[in-house]
Order: sequence, then C-alpha cells, then structure tokens
Amino acid sequence: MAPKYKLTYFDVRSRGEPTRLIFAAAGVEYEDVRLTFEEWPPIKPTTPMGNLPILEVDGVTLSQSMSIARFVARETGLDGKNKLEKAQADAFVDELEEPLAAKLPVLLGFTTDEKEKEEKAKEVDQLIEEKLGKCEKLSGSNGYLVGNSLLWCDLVFYNIAYYIEVYKPGTLQNYPKLAKVYATVKANPRIAKWVAERPAGQYQYGV
Amino acid sequence: MAPKYKLTYFDARGRGEPTRLIFAAAGVEFEDNRLTFEEWPAIKPTTPMGGLPLLEVDGVTLCQSLAIARFAARDVGLAGKSNLEQAQADMFVDEISELLPKMAGLFFEKDEAVKAEKQKEVEELIVKTYTILEKLSGSAGYLVGNRLLWCDLIFFNIASNVENLKPGTVQNYPKLAKSYENVKLNSRIAAYLAKRKETPF
Repeated sequence: MAPKYKLTYFDVRSRGEPTRLIFAAAGVEYEDVRLTFEEWPPIKPTTPMGNLPILEVDGVTLSQSMSIARFVARETGLDGKNKLEKAQADAFVDELEEPLAAKLPVLLGFTTDEKEKEEKAKEVDQLIEEKLGKCEKLSGSNGYLVGNSLLWCDLVFYNIAYYIEVYKPGTLQNYPKLAKVYATVKANPRIAKWVAERPAGQYQYGV
Repeated sequence: MAPKYKLTYFDARGRGEPTRLIFAAAGVEFEDNRLTFEEWPAIKPTTPMGGLPLLEVDGVTLCQSLAIARFAARDVGLAGKSNLEQAQADMFVDEISELLPKMAGLFFEKDEAVKAEKQKEVEELIVKTYTILEKLSGSAGYLVGNRLLWCDLIFFNIASNVENLKPGTVQNYPKLAKSYENVKLNSRIAAYLAKRKETPF
C-alpha cells in the first residue's frame, strides 16, 4: 500500500529536510520525491503556491515548508505535549528558520563570486551569532530545546546547525546547551540511520 | 479575577494586532499591555528573545508573534478543525506574512526616492501574493473551510494596511474580498474595530 504522505522537493536538504527528519525520527514511512531542476518548470504551475516543498496527503496538497513540517510533527506526535509546549517549539522554529534557512545554503552552495561571498558571509555571521545567542538563552539544559523529549524544533535546529558546522566547524561549542541538543539529535538511532543513509544531494556540501 | 492571558506589545497594531483580533473574535478577555517606546529598553533584556509581542499565560512567557497568535488561535478554537485544516490555515498565514516586513520597510522609509522604489516592489508583491491566495482560497467566504479561522484575521489585518496603501485592491480578488468582508462584518470584530484606537501602524 502506498505511503500516506508524499513529499516533493529538490534533491537537497535545505527546506525539505526538516520534514524528512521528522518522518525519520517518528519512524513513519513516506514517499520522498526528489525533482531535478530540469523537471521543475512544468510542475511549478501545478503547485499551490508555485514553490517546493509540497506535501500530498488525503487528497490535499500542502505548501510552505514550516507549515508542512508542523503538520507532520502534529501527525507524528513530535510537536509538543501541550499547547504551551507547542507554542514554545514554534517560537524556536520561527527564530531559527528565517532567514538562515535561505541565506546559509545559498552562501555555501550557490555563491561563487569572492566579493559577494565575503558580504554574504558577514551577514550570515551576524545572523548566526544573534540567533544562536537567543536560542542558547532560552534552551533547556537537558539536551532538548523545549521540555524533556525530542520535538520537531530540535530537528529544525539540527538541520540549520548542520550547515553552520559545515560553514564554520566548532561554532556550536560556544553554545553549550545548543551543542547538547545537537548531540542528542545526532545520537538518536533513527536520525543517525537516516543521516548515514540519506541521498547525498546534488551539491558539494549536500545543500 | 485577572484574565488568563497578558499580551505585551507597543501601543500600535504591528505584530501584536493579530493576537488581539483572535481574542476579540473569540470573545475572550485578555490584558492588553501597551508599552511606550521609552519603557521598552528597560524591559527588553527581561524578555525571552529581546522582542515583542510577548504572551504570558500559566506562568510561561511566549515570544514570536506568529507562535503567539497560533497558540491563541488553538486555545480559543480558531486554528482549524483537523490537523489538515490547521496546516492549510498555517499555509495562508505563512504566505500572507511575507508581505509584513516589506510593508513595514516601506512605511518607515524616509528617503523619497527609495520610498518610491520600495512602493513599486511592495505593489508587485501584493499582486503576486493576492493572486496565489485567491487561487487557493475557499469559496464559502473564508480562506479555509467554512468558518472564520485565524488565517482570515491575519489576512484581514494585512489587507487593511494594503487598503490604506491602495484603496480598492482587495475588490479585484473576489474570494479574498469575501473573507475580508466576513471578518469586517463579524459582530465581535466590528465591535472591536469600532472601539479600537487609531494608530499609525
């Protein structure tokens, strides 16, 4: 029987990976469709908002990466154990995802001009310091951003932090609570398996 | 007895108004704490992420305007009736919210030449966004499903600013116009708007 969920994105991590990580952590099967950039133009007009990722479920097509991720987190019980916890998880996601989710992969994978690279790096460095600083202050100390079990915000964080560690290895050591969250996610057996086996993607840094 | 919820924001609509509209639509009482710009620097370091709005509830302080609005919507039953409907409402909110920073940037721009450029950019973004929303909107007078949800209030809030910028815009988008009217005519929202203080943004 076909999986209940069909995720369509490009063959990269970026904005599709949080949802993939959530499915992996929950041990829930899904169809992981990866489009090439050539396949995309004819498909674009058929999507709700002209962009990816999209998630098809029960005859409905969802768009907007974080709405999709939140939906999957709710479906799989990884959104938080009560309304307050859910809101706290949402707050971390809101702080972490934009605009780093756009700027960091673009800097790493798509920027070749040296001067442009320097300017973008300056901006990204500032954003990283600002956001990790805020999240470190608020994070739990037990290896989870919120509460005492793995939630989708930890996975959204892990995805961004992975890029940060590729970009500037050792950054997380300056943020002990966040480093602990990163280590917790990395050590989660389902996540470890997914990270080891996931497609490498099209770009040198596996953007 | 003190209200369950305490919202803290500036004395403006801005990023606090969505949550105020949600509480108003649900007829739920809340403490509407408005700070002056002078009071803010002293309070800033005491906040979770150095920003406003904040929502204090059950001894917890929430931050991030959309996380707060979504929490309030869930708590008062305006989030959507199923996981899917909630995700669809979220989609609309995410798409609509892309207009916010651009419109704020335009509003606060002092340089006339830059302002003209930004205005052009914003107008193009409005057309692009409204076209997407119109295509996806339900036909029952609400963006999603068949009753007022928080996404209709979020749209109304931003669309009101758009109407100030370019009156009559929403009328070019029939389904969106219907959602806009339904919010405006909702008796609780109408009462709230009648009493609401006028602020520049």
